[in-house]
Order: sequence, then C-alpha cells, then structure tokens
Amino acid sequence: MEKMKKSIKNADKNITALLGIAILIFVAMGILAPKSFLGITNLQGMCIQFAEFGVLAFGMMLAMISGGIDLSLVGIANFASIAGAAVMIKLGSSNASIIAGVLAALAVGGICGLFNGFMIGYLRIPPMLVTLCGLQLFTGLGLVVTKGPALTDLPPAFNMIAGGTVALIPIAVIVFALVVLGVSFLLRSSVYGQHVRFMGTNATASRYSGIQNLKITMMTYGISGILGGVGGILMASHYNSAKSDYGSSYTLLTLLIVVLGGTNPDGGRGKVAGVTLSIIVLQLVSSAFNILRINAFIKTFVWGMILLAVMVSMKLLENKKERRSQ
Amino acid sequence: MSEAFLKLKGIKKSFGGVQALKGVELEVKRGEIHALAGENGCGKSTLIKIISGVHDATEGEVFVEGKKVGKIQPIDAIHMGIQVIYQDFAVFPNLSVAENIAMNKSLLIGAKRMKWKEAKKIAVEAMDQIGAHMDPDLPVERLSVANKQMVAICRAIITDAKLLILDEPTTALTAKEVHKLNEVLRRLKEKGMAVVIVNHKLDEIYAIADTLTVLRNGETVAHGMIEEFDRERFIKALTGRSISEEYYRPEASDEEILRVEDYTRNGAFQKVCFSMNKGDVLGITGLLGSGRGEIGDALFGLAPAQGGTVWLNGEQIKINSVSEAMKAGIGYVPEDRLTQGLFLDRSIQDNTVAASIPKYLHRGRLDYTEMYRVTEDWIEKIGCNAPSPEPNIRTLSGGNAQKMVIAKWLNTDPKLLILNGPTVGVDVGSKSDIHAILHELAGKGVGVIVISDDLSELIQNCNKIVIMKNGRSSGMIRAEELDETQLAGLLSGSEEAEHEQ
Amino acid sequence: MNSKIKNTLASNEAIVVYIIIGLSLLIGIVNHSFFSVSTVVTLSRAILVTLTFAICEMIVIISGGIDVSFPAVASICMYATLKIALAFNIDNVFVVFLIAAVIGLMFGTLNAVLIAIFRLPPLIATLGVSSVANGATLAFLGTNVISNIPDKIDAVSRMYLFTFTTKDGMSFSLTILILIPIAVCLLAFFMLKFTMLGRGIYAVGGDANAARIAGFNVKKIQFIVYMSAGSIAGIASIAYMILMRQADPSVLMGSEMMVIAAVVMGGTRITGGHGSVLGTVFGVILIALVQNNLIMLGVPTHFQTFVVGLIIVIGTSITSLRAKKISNSAKV
Repeated sequence: MEKMKKSIKNADKNITALLGIAILIFVAMGILAPKSFLGITNLQGMCIQFAEFGVLAFGMMLAMISGGIDLSLVGIANFASIAGAAVMIKLGSSNASIIAGVLAALAVGGICGLFNGFMIGYLRIPPMLVTLCGLQLFTGLGLVVTKGPALTDLPPAFNMIAGGTVALIPIAVIVFALVVLGVSFLLRSSVYGQHVRFMGTNATASRYSGIQNLKITMMTYGISGILGGVGGILMASHYNSAKSDYGSSYTLLTLLIVVLGGTNPDGGRGKVAGVTLSIIVLQLVSSAFNILRINAFIKTFVWGMILLAVMVSMKLLENKKERRSQ
Repeated sequence: MSEAFLKLKGIKKSFGGVQALKGVELEVKRGEIHALAGENGCGKSTLIKIISGVHDATEGEVFVEGKKVGKIQPIDAIHMGIQVIYQDFAVFPNLSVAENIAMNKSLLIGAKRMKWKEAKKIAVEAMDQIGAHMDPDLPVERLSVANKQMVAICRAIITDAKLLILDEPTTALTAKEVHKLNEVLRRLKEKGMAVVIVNHKLDEIYAIADTLTVLRNGETVAHGMIEEFDRERFIKALTGRSISEEYYRPEASDEEILRVEDYTRNGAFQKVCFSMNKGDVLGITGLLGSGRGEIGDALFGLAPAQGGTVWLNGEQIKINSVSEAMKAGIGYVPEDRLTQGLFLDRSIQDNTVAASIPKYLHRGRLDYTEMYRVTEDWIEKIGCNAPSPEPNIRTLSGGNAQKMVIAKWLNTDPKLLILNGPTVGVDVGSKSDIHAILHELAGKGVGVIVISDDLSELIQNCNKIVIMKNGRSSGMIRAEELDETQLAGLLSGSEEAEHEQ
Repeated sequence: MNSKIKNTLASNEAIVVYIIIGLSLLIGIVNHSFFSVSTVVTLSRAILVTLTFAICEMIVIISGGIDVSFPAVASICMYATLKIALAFNIDNVFVVFLIAAVIGLMFGTLNAVLIAIFRLPPLIATLGVSSVANGATLAFLGTNVISNIPDKIDAVSRMYLFTFTTKDGMSFSLTILILIPIAVCLLAFFMLKFTMLGRGIYAVGGDANAARIAGFNVKKIQFIVYMSAGSIAGIASIAYMILMRQADPSVLMGSEMMVIAAVVMGGTRITGGHGSVLGTVFGVILIALVQNNLIMLGVPTHFQTFVVGLIIVIGTSITSLRAKKISNSAKV
C-alpha cells in the first residue's frame, strides 16, 4: 500500500512538474512579450505546429509502450502526405477529392505501419533496425512519386485543415484533440491497450498468458502508421505541398516528448496525459524561442540537452529507489 | 588429505533487516564430493556468494587451507583456487569453445594479447582432463546445455582450481548427461580437487556425493558422510518434517473429461496416450528431455503437436495456437515463473487479469472496478498473503506469486489446467496450499495435469501418473501402486538400460 | 576441414562478396568501362569516409551498443577545427587532425558517460548527443559552407599515392587520404582479433553479465569503444573536409543510416557480439556500388533512395533471419 501510494505520487510528480513548467513559461512569456506571445496569431500558430509533431509523438509512444521504437514515423508521414497529395492532384479540386486524398494518406500510413509490424512481429527483426530501414524505404517511395520536387497545387480547401478555425479553435487542434482522445481510449478502455502494455512489460509472459503478440505488434505499428498519416496530412496542409524531406527534426522531437512525458523506454508504461503535457511544454519553449528571436538551431541543441537531462535524472531517481528498497 | 580445504564457522548474513543466513557450518575436504542440499530459499545461493567473495558475511569465519580469510573480492577467491559454476554458466555464446575456456586464465594473468594457438592448446588439454570432446573452434551458441556446462568446467579447472562449486548443475541435463557429468566430477575428485554440488534431488545426491551438508532456513541442520543418511533422515533434515503419509485418493468416477491419443510432435514426443476422469489429478513426469514439458507446451498450443487427437469433455478439439487452446478452456501455469508466468513491475491486479482482459469489456469499455473486485476475491479465495490488489507483484514471496499465477488461469474458468512445475521455488506452507487448491479443482470436475520432476509431490498429490521416456509414454500408472523409490527406478533405470544398449 | 571450407563459403562475408561480384558483372555488361582502374579509384574515394565511420560503428555494435551521433560529432569536429585553424592561422595538417580528434574524443566521452555510467539506452543517448552536437554547430559556429581552407592543409587534397592515365588521356589519382581508412581497418582488425581488449569487446557484446563475472572491466571497455569512435569520427571528418575542399556543417547529417546498413549487411549482428572488419569492408563497398552505379543500370535518380532502402531492408532481413536460424539450429 505504501509503495503504491509512492508510485502514484511519483507518476503524478512527473505530470505536476510538466504542468508547472508550462505555467511558468506562460507567465514568464506573458511578462516578457505579452503582445506577441499571448496574441491570437501566436496561439493559433503554436497550435498548428504542435498538432503536427504531437500526433507523431503518440505513434512513437505506442511503439515504445509495446517495447519497441518507431523511427520511421517521419518517413511514413511524408510518404502518406505525398500519396494523398498525388490523389488530390489527380482528382482535381473538389471536396470529394480532398476526402479521397485524406483517406489515401491514412491508408498508406497504415500499410507502411503494418509492414513495420510484420517485420518486427513475424520476422522478429529488432524494431530499431526495422524502422530505421523503414525510414529510408518510405522516404525513397515518396521520392519515387514526387521525382524530387515538392508536390504543389493542392486544392485550396485542403489548406483549411491546418489553417482553418472553428470558433477560433484551429482545426488542427481539433484533429489533435481527437487523436488524444482516441489514443487514451485505446490505452485505457480497450482490450488492446491492456494487451500492448502486458506485451511491453514481458513479451514471453504475455505469450504464455494467451496474448497474441504478433497481432498486437501489427496493430501497434499499424496505428502508429495511421497516426503518421494524420501527421502527414497536417504537414501537407500546413505547407500546402508534400515532399519527402519535411519535418526531419521531428524524429528526435517525438522521442524527446515521449520520454519527457514519462513513457518507459523499456516498454510497458506510458501515460497519455504526460505525453500531451510534454507536447505542450515543448511547443511553449519553441514559441518562446521564436518570439525572443533566439537562433532556431539552439532549439536542436536544447532539445538534445533536455532529452539527456531527463533520461539521466530518471535513471538517478530509479537507482535511488532501488537502493532504498534494498 | 584429511585437512579441510574450506571451513566455514558460524556464518551469518543479513540483508537490511532480513537474516538470510543464521549460522552455517561447512567443511569441505580435498578429494571429496560434497553435496550442499536444501530447499529453495534456504540460503544456498547466499552462501555461495559469500564463499566466492561476492558478499561479505555479517558474522562468522572462513578458513581456506587452514588460514583465516578476511574480506575478499571475487578475484581473490579465484586466486585462492575457488571457482563457481553458476546455473547459467556465464559463458559467451558468440565466442568459440577454445576462447571461452582460455579466457579466464588470460584475464587472471592480466594478458594483453590474445594468443589463438595457445588458447586452443589450453582448451584441448582441459577437455582431455575431463574427457570431453568438442570442436574448439565451434561457437558456444551451437552447443547443447550439457556441453556448455563442460566448457564452464574446463574454464574453471585450467585456473588451477582447488575447489569447484557447481550451483544446481543438473537442472537442465538429461539423465545421460547427468551420468556424464558425474564421471567428470569423479575424475576431478581423484585428482584431489574438492567439489561442492548444490542440489536438492535425493537420487542425484546419493549417486555422486561422499559427504553431505543440509541447510534449512539459513542454518546447517545436518552434516556427515552420505552413508549416515537414509532417505527418511535426509528428507526430514531437508524439509523439517517426516515424510507425509497423506495421499490424494479421489473416489473413482466414470465421467471422462480428457482423452489424448497418439499425440505426436516430431523431435519431442511420439504417440503419447492418456486419459483422465472427473476428480483425477494426472501427473506427468520423466527426466529432462523425455518430452514431459513439451506435452504441456503442445496442449497449450505454444509448440503445437503434429499428430494425434484430443478430446476435452467429450468434444474433439484442435490446438494449433495458444488462442485455440484458451478457447477450448485450457490454462497453463508455466515452468519459469519469473520470465514466463509473471509480469514483474506490474500490480497484483494486472497479473491476475492478464489472461482474461476481454471478459471485462462492458459496453465497449474496460471495467477496472470489476477487475479490482475480482482480484480481491481471488486473493482471498486462493489464500494469497497480500494486503490488496494494488502492490507490485514483486513484493510477494515465491509461493504467493505462484498462487496468483494459478488465480490468473482460474479466472479464465478453465476446463483443463496444466501446471508445469507448480511448486518450484515455493515454500513448504504455500506448497501444501497449492496442492489443496488443485485437489479442490479436480473435485469440481476441472482436469488438472501436474508436470513435475518432484516425485514425492506426484505420488502424494496425483492419483494417476504418466511416465515419459525418450518421448514415449509408459501408459498410465495408478499412484497408489508405487512408492518414490520405485518411481525413481522406473524413470532412470530404463534410461540407463538404454544407455547401456 | 571440408566443413570449414563450406562454412567459409556460406558465411555472411562470402554472401556479400557474391552479391558484389554479381552486381559488378551486371554493371559491367551494361557499361563496359566499369571494369577499369578508374572505377577502383572512384570507388575508393567514395568509400573513404564511410568506411572509417563504419569500422567505428561496427566496433560499437559488437560491444552491444549503437552510435547514431557520429555524423553530428564529425560535423562539429570538422567545422570547429577549421574555424580554430582559421582564427589562429594554424596551417599544419597534423595539428588539424589532432584538434579534430580531441573534439571528437570529448563527445565520445560524453556518450560513454551516458551509456556506461548512467546506463541510458545507447540509441537514445547518442541521439541526444547528436542533437546537442548538431545544434551547437549550427547555432554557435555558423551555417555557412567555408571554402578557404589553409593552403598547406588544402594541398593534401592534391597528394596522391599514384596516378593512372587512361589511353584517352583521362587521369585518375588515388588520394593519399585512403591511408586513413586502411590504417583504421588494420588497427581494428588486429585489436579485435589479437588483443584481450578486442576479445573483451566481443565478450561484453555477447553477454555483459558473463563478462563482468569473468573479470572484464565492462565500463572501461565501453569507455574505450565510444571514446575511440568519437576521436576517429573527428579524424575522418578532416579527411572529408580535405577531400571536398570545404567544410559544410550539415552535409554529413543523415549518413548514419547508410553506415549502419553497411555494417549490418556485412554480417554484424545488431544485437551485439558478432562482426568482422572484412565483412564491414564488403558491406561498405556493396552500398557504395549500389549508390554510385544505379544510374548506369538505368535506374532514374528519384528511384535511388527507394532502391537503396529496399536493398538495405532485404540485406538486414537476411542477416537477422540467418542469426535467428543459427540460434534455433540443432545443438551439438
């Protein structure tokens, strides 16, 4: 009982800390640059950006909970958006064409994910290797379609997905919120959610408990792929074009988000609330950098530093706990 | 020769507040094979770690060759000639036999260069010494368990070891391999080496040991020449109880619940037949490699059988995957609790419902309150000593954790429950609890199959026993017709007969 | 003895060699000029830096880790060294190499501390270091390509081991920098095969726990591995700079993919404990052949990333499946 209380406290600590940081940045920026930071344009701009990598981060989170990793998400996103764009360009500028394009992007994302899942679950090739190769493969497939330059001339209405608002709320945020709800439903209330956690904790024991690891792996990477497709749609809509090398910094960013959000890199554990908060925190940091006109590359540097600092402090906490329990 | 190589006096060791060793006396002479016996959790592994310098004793004295030894590091123990062969052998799967054997010596003398020719020479010499024959260039991952053990022994003896400690060396060996190992150990003994084998199987100890020390609850409870111990005294020392006279003898029933015919999986077992009626607890036993565990794996769909038929409650069923087995109502408590049975770092509740998650899907959502309630129920029903469903399963003792693994399967309402080594690493109290649970289940008409190499467990708790030999079944034997010695004779006698052929 | 020959002929290295031969024949049939000294010279130039990286990566993977930070580390070594050289008027090749090696060593040490002391998963640790190094380069040092390399250093780019002139007057010269990968390969070969350190690297990758029990200093071995990988990445970066006659802070980024693929195709198991210098050399040659000659086979440029990706997926699948087959095969 004691220990349980402690573990609840610890889990909450992570979330409380993230919440604290978010509020701190808000207040600090509200004082430093109230007009530009709290302005509607900035807030809306932030939302469009975090929706893109936020959706991808949930794909990474699912893969990590299952005990793996998905380094191919950005590749899937780009390939899916290219496929969607190609469909839209072919069908012309109508609402039907946009729907067809979006569906095509989701389907392509799902298929890419299933391919990853098959290689990992059936052929038992380490996830890191599969998805690293997958990144190259999907990027290459995207290039085959585009032949190099970006696919432009997308239907103008398609731009609304990233740019449009409903009652001042950007559509991108609505998409993101739907993804958050969907993933948290999956993890919390579906059989799959429990099974993927069991598999991530101990794949052998899950097999011996009658959990079909292959099916769960395929589903995990399939869903991750679909989320890649959603991310791709948001990116294409944001840039109003589709290309094979958009968002290349997102791989590291999503990994950082997921780890920062309290997901265990060894698998089995991860909270949607933690990941969501960490997405928001990173977006706030990023926007603050932009407004304070700090060199964009410092962001890369800082992301890396935060990732390492978080991992190291997590390990130190873990060691301390172990020593205490001994 | 009479002077003891190793002598321990009043060794005590505590971890935090827990006293693991409460006073151990041990004396090992040169040129003898000394059996260190004790049930799981008696402190054997802690003792080995103290001898090999991994842990320090809290109290007590260690003498090596008559000289008192102070605080030591593992490397000091090796320099004194003490070598331990752990259960997993700690060999390098990716390196060759020769390199594995020669490596320790090179490290011991602090070599900087790797000399391949010399390594090969050392390896061949070491193998000659114990009469092992392996290709020195073969990577160790290609070796069988028994040969990996030989590599570990070779590696230990080339460092001029004077005392060789083997931690449960026979758990993963077939009868033939045990035989071979014993020959090797006798050779070493004749060369004047002191050998300590940690074991708890009576027959194996009688077959090899000269002297015996029995540990129970961290204390030396008996020691002496092996001849001074008859079975009864040995068992009493080991368990602290006399041999139980209670047997499971259910009323005969005609209602057949399981029939297995001509069950075959190539390379594991052939044409195995058995059947059980309502109320029966069926035991399957055999030496390692006899196919006893493989039958369990096949019936649960982990490694499906290729031929044969299975009827469960009068219906013919097909088992090609775990999900098919579960759909048919089969549950399986696996052999290795820690890696196969439990989700460590997860709560008791998670571990209890792990095999029956879909049951809790109500109106499209999982019902966690229901899971909590069910787990509470099981904790009480199965007699698990846990405060609530919330704590990490790690906090439970082996016996309590095993009860929850059984509860996990009972929660699926199985028609047939297969238990592979149900009481390995379980304390005496939980052991009899678990047996009582099994008898109760059988009484309710659930088929219970116990796969085990613990013969007294089988004789006392099963009413029918199937003996596996080289992948073939002996047919069913009524447990009341045998005692432990006869059963042991049936297992190994026939093996040896085949060995001689 | 026969089985030994059979084993050699079916080894990973041998399979890669068969593929290289097959591919070369294919390219040679389409384009007759392929079989010439010039191809060898072009290929050596193409694999010079990749091979150096690959050997380091292989050693890291054998030890049971992975390093995705070397492109970023190499970039910062190259860029920072050149900036230092320009600022202090250093025009000495050896000093420049030394500075780069020291900077690389620092990042290698950082990797080692994170992995050996704090026990972070190597992928995440090196990904983080990669981000730090890359961000630091671009944010603090600059983003422009620098081409005014000091004369004496630049002169190395015109030093050749030999020059070969074709009948029609085209001349091909083999750069002296090829000695760097050759030296690294030979050193790695002897270290891995004939020193206890090398055997320790295999032992740690095979079973870190067993290595500790046997008496290896696992942390020390990990430190040596990551630190030398860092400093060799620094040296390779200067070679690259001289070869390209400019320092581009982001040109090397993304090359980890190819390098890891080459290493895995050469028979190194991603799970650690297995791998050979020879295999890696062949793996690098194979990937370079594919990358440089797809055009000759009539594969359009925009198909190249895909085709290379496909080859990597197939190649890594084969090696992974072979490793699995060995572990499932009958034991003796």
